[in-house]
Amino acid sequence: MVNRLNWKAPFLFLVLCLAVFAGSTAVFAADSHIYDNAGLLTESEIGELEALAEEHSEKHGADFLFLTTTTTNGQPVMTYMGDFFDEWADENNQENAVLLTIDMGSREVYLAGFGTAETKLDNNRVQQVLDRIMPYMGAGDYGGAFRETVLTASRYMEFRPGANPESIFHKLWFQLGVPLLIAAAVVGSMVMNAGGRITTTARTYVDGTNTRVRSQQDRFRNKTVSRRRVPKNNGGGGGFGGGGGMTGGGRSFSGGGRSF
Amino acid sequence: MVTQYKCPNCGSDMAFDAESGKLSCPNCGRQDDIETFPEENILQEFDTEEAKEYHCENCGAVILTEANTTATHCSFCGAPVVLAERLSGEFAPAKVIPFTISKDEAVAAFKKWTRNGRLTPRGFMSGDRIKKMTGMYVPFWLYDIDGTAEVAAIGTRVRSYTRGDTIYTETDFYDVYRGIDLSYLKVPADASEKMDDELMDKLEPYDYSELKDFKMPYLAGYLAEKYDYDDEALFSRVESKIVPYIDSYIQSTIAGYSTVSYTNKQIQANKSKVYYTLFPVWMVYYDFENKEHTFAMNGQTGKVVGKPPISSGKVAAWFAGIAVSGFVVLKGISYAMGGVLW
Repeated sequence: MVNRLNWKAPFLFLVLCLAVFAGSTAVFAADSHIYDNAGLLTESEIGELEALAEEHSEKHGADFLFLTTTTTNGQPVMTYMGDFFDEWADENNQENAVLLTIDMGSREVYLAGFGTAETKLDNNRVQQVLDRIMPYMGAGDYGGAFRETVLTASRYMEFRPGANPESIFHKLWFQLGVPLLIAAAVVGSMVMNAGGRITTTARTYVDGTNTRVRSQQDRFRNKTVSRRRVPKNNGGGGGFGGGGGMTGGGRSFSGGGRSF
Repeated sequence: MVTQYKCPNCGSDMAFDAESGKLSCPNCGRQDDIETFPEENILQEFDTEEAKEYHCENCGAVILTEANTTATHCSFCGAPVVLAERLSGEFAPAKVIPFTISKDEAVAAFKKWTRNGRLTPRGFMSGDRIKKMTGMYVPFWLYDIDGTAEVAAIGTRVRSYTRGDTIYTETDFYDVYRGIDLSYLKVPADASEKMDDELMDKLEPYDYSELKDFKMPYLAGYLAEKYDYDDEALFSRVESKIVPYIDSYIQSTIAGYSTVSYTNKQIQANKSKVYYTLFPVWMVYYDFENKEHTFAMNGQTGKVVGKPPISSGKVAAWFAGIAVSGFVVLKGISYAMGGVLW
């Protein structure tokens, strides 16, 4: 009996080690992703978003962070966000992160990508994510905005850097629909033409020398002019801070911001 | 009146040979030009009364014909006979396009065509169940059509440009008028009741450079029909055939506008000449799965028309094949553009 336990002990130790090791990679991704200083989220929302951020953070080895505040103490939101991240990165020993900052004081939102996320979520993709979350910001659904940020950024980061993830060629409906349409058109014409095609055209029987325009007139009659303003595509206020920058602690990032 | 062409050498019944374009003797191989065939070898039997019964000169058997038949074979001895009185007077054809595809060539061309059928069932594709192959001269009316078209329309030209933060869209309206002389030559319409119009239309076009003045010997060895509808009766069909041609011509004369809306369009088409013409058609009767399928082949160009059986399995296979390979290609493009495969 004792012998048997002894035999099992090293094995149990190994399992324990493995668990700790696996845990350590999970720990490598930070244990907290939501810093809701402005109190925009409910407890249950925080729990749900924390789990979502956790899941996608592990997938990419980069943390999805959400920072809200009521005031930036007079600093631009980019600087405030940079300071926060310098501190957070040192504390958690993690340089790779996607950080969504909402400043309720100036009503500005800023999205930044650090470390590996700087290339995987480059400035263009930041703008595309912002396009998608601005409706949530306008509606005051800040939890929804972060959820959308995590899901969209996580999806975009699967694509090779530089590629446009919103290109129509990456849409499943396009990849499925176009071949189906082509197949229907090709097979349809094959069925229609199985019994022989009509190969005479309008030119087959025409007598080219005697078919002609005898008289013709193209007289200007009148003209209408309509005016409309050049449409502006900024649903949620102006943008700023596009192209990212450098934090006070010397961390470079991609990013972009909008007012809401 | 029955007409047979006797070989000047051996006295056999001669028939038109599609390959050489001459009268040829199946017995001794002699060939004669149709233009110069000696009169004395044309054997004609005149009926004293207007009897509707014809007798073969060779064997005396009664030649059984339908009322429209103008050329056939003696059903007893197989001699080619031409029923001349059904080809005279108002029924005298003006022109003929002789067969250029012989029976053997027609069989080979048809077999080749069945092999090309991408959607036809496998058993059909072997092309070995030709039940009957009939070379037939089908009566057509060819119309020379003169006409005029007067067209009034309003055309627009749209231009847009941006000044400052305003987009200007300028639309210029034009009164457009076209007076057009129209002329179409030898537009065909089949004049035989028992021939399917759609099938005959699809057999077009024929090469009119081989249009010959009609001579009876061209018919020897083939079936031929006389027309059921005269040129007046068929003109409306030809009109409906050329109206789309005229419309597309009118369209081609009004160019350079963003939109064209017709306010008045008057088309007048009159026939200036008609030619009663016989066109060569191989009729192919084909057995497949206890059903007879009828096909027609242009006896001059070899074009085959007619509804072949369609295999739904093959249709599905083609559809799936194209759709799946298209999906794979698009996925590949997506991947090449930096996307993910799943």
